[in-house]
Amino acid sequence: MNDTALVLTLAAAVAAGTPLALAALGELLTERAGVLNLGVEGMMLLGAVAAFLAADGSGSPAVGLLAGMLTGGALAAAHAFLSVTMRANQIVSGLALVIFGTGLSTFLGQPIEGRPLAARLGGAAVPVLADLPVVGRILFQQDLVVYATWVLALLVLGYLGRTRAGLSLRAVGESPATADAMGVRVAAVRYAHTIAGGLLAGAGGAYLILARVPSWAQAATTNGIGWIALALVVFASWRPLRVLAGAYLFGAALRANFALQAAGVRGVPAEVLAMLPYLLTIAVLVALSAGDLRRRVGAPAALGVPYVRDER
Amino acid sequence: MSGRPTGARRPRLERRSRVAPWLLVAVPAVSVAAALAVGAVALRLIGLDPLTVYREMLRSGFTTWFGFTDTLSSATPLILTGLAAAVAFRFHLYNVGAEGQLYVGAIAASGVALALGPDVPQAAAVVAVILAGMAGGMLWIAVPALTRAWLGTSEIITTLLLNYVALYLMRYLIFGSASFWRDPTSTNFPQGLRIPAAAEFPQYGTTRIHLGLLVAVIAAVLVHVALTRTRVGYELRVYGDSPAAARYAGISVRRAVLVALLASGALAGLAGAGEIAGRARQLDPQGLALGLGYAGIIVAALARYNPLSVMLVAVLLGGIRNAGTALQSLPGARVPIAISTMLEGALLLFTLGGELFVRYRLRTGRSPQPAAGPAEASAGAPAPGVPASPAEPPPASAPGPAPASRSEQP
Repeated sequence: MNDTALVLTLAAAVAAGTPLALAALGELLTERAGVLNLGVEGMMLLGAVAAFLAADGSGSPAVGLLAGMLTGGALAAAHAFLSVTMRANQIVSGLALVIFGTGLSTFLGQPIEGRPLAARLGGAAVPVLADLPVVGRILFQQDLVVYATWVLALLVLGYLGRTRAGLSLRAVGESPATADAMGVRVAAVRYAHTIAGGLLAGAGGAYLILARVPSWAQAATTNGIGWIALALVVFASWRPLRVLAGAYLFGAALRANFALQAAGVRGVPAEVLAMLPYLLTIAVLVALSAGDLRRRVGAPAALGVPYVRDER
Repeated sequence: MSGRPTGARRPRLERRSRVAPWLLVAVPAVSVAAALAVGAVALRLIGLDPLTVYREMLRSGFTTWFGFTDTLSSATPLILTGLAAAVAFRFHLYNVGAEGQLYVGAIAASGVALALGPDVPQAAAVVAVILAGMAGGMLWIAVPALTRAWLGTSEIITTLLLNYVALYLMRYLIFGSASFWRDPTSTNFPQGLRIPAAAEFPQYGTTRIHLGLLVAVIAAVLVHVALTRTRVGYELRVYGDSPAAARYAGISVRRAVLVALLASGALAGLAGAGEIAGRARQLDPQGLALGLGYAGIIVAALARYNPLSVMLVAVLLGGIRNAGTALQSLPGARVPIAISTMLEGALLLFTLGGELFVRYRLRTGRSPQPAAGPAEASAGAPAPGVPASPAEPPPASAPGPAPASRSEQP
């Protein structure tokens, strides 16, 4: 029963959804501060290359993960500088991050292309829980990053709802002028959460290369996961636990070939299966804006708007 | 209460009453220099001498006749994708799907060329190919454009994700099925069927410059005229400055959104048609996926969304791309071809940063009024020229359903 196709598919969905969840939780923090960072894909790619190089050099996947996070954070800091200090167009700045991250990662990744990584992140079954029927196979025979993602989602939830810093964060995202008047340092909060978003996007990219994909394959390593993460934040109406659930849902879509085979469907061309996650994401976004959800629940009111104190 | 320095000497930013013309040249120039500096660091990282590489790039991209004609050929699709980005981004409509629209334009153009066959007069075939490319691009942006106009769905993510769908569609037609586009005799490595000679864009002499360059230049001039001299261009400019003002002026916002996005898609599709008829001559999934659509965003941003400047910037970027390819044959060192993409991305980042200095000036002296209380809070200071600036309003689009400011009114 543990090895039925459905169970295996669900386990794969959880694994495939994890990089998505990490990146989306990061973007959630960034957007809650009122900063829109479209550069997730670029941060993930560069994070993946950095993680490969660091893990390969040191022999430790943990060092790789750290390197990936720091790289993502550094790119996000550039976005924070452009959008907060330089008041640049955040959308174009995020796109620049994607293009720069894609270019630099392809540039630096050329020597490692197609090379398998020795220092990969191994699985770690949770004692006792892993032996549970079905649930154990799906949830508790994964790796440490998967479990850490659950903790992270809970931490973000608690941070947003139950801490003073989380309150400041939400104030900055909803009404920076009010937050400013309350004595919250708007720019500092925006910098901190943009960089935090980058750290997590970098972690997502690192996790991809350390545990999910067989080797570095240029931009095809992430293949749009960063963009799906952006859509996921909207889909989850900026709530951390919904991000986690949504990530696993999209993870299942990313594993659609797996799932369809499990359901006994044959003869669907590989290219058509590969299109499914993107089409699904588009359909979800359109459906969200069509229904009563039009007045979005949860979108930070000041999202994407630079705050300039003396120009109000 | 937060212990911020309140002295009047703190450097502060002041909006310029009008854009200083010299800055429009200086900022891009400094951005290029800064991007090259970042590139130099990356080249050092992988053990190459930046000066040698840059000298070679200059030579192979700009200072030799052969190199320069190749640069113009590389610039041809970039002019069109740059225009595609410019007509949308300028009005805060972010079509990031030019890449996919280019692919579908290429699919449509090659499909029509193949369907017409070799017996059609060249003029007719070329016009048909051009129209097919534009139609393909418009088709691919139709869903994002319609949902943006009617439902307020953010066009950013929908257009972007369709790039992946278009890429897989193109791969399916050549690698995944025995389609109309695939050469039936190519059994070992599947490839596209060559389009008939009648549908090809003529080339000039022995260079790689083809009719597409002329088409692109005409398109740039037409877009410029349309934006500055026509009613729809006027409506778009009002909409771009303030959607609310456009609504109060009785301008159909839906129509403005649709026109800008569909034009953007058509231009990207046209770029795809040019790549088919002028360069690739067949539907070639690998050879078309060069990131031309994404590069168009950089071209447009560097050109400050001005259709005429797009042409100049496209030549600059075309040179960088062309040099990236030429560097592959540099003896000794292996320069990764991605150096072009990396330089392009860095260029865009620095240009964005530099944009601040076009719109604001840095004041380090005393502020005009003696500060009473927290200096920055005395907001009345920049009396000369707050409103006169033609600067854009802050970007209001967010992912997901449209920003409230654009969907409030019925």
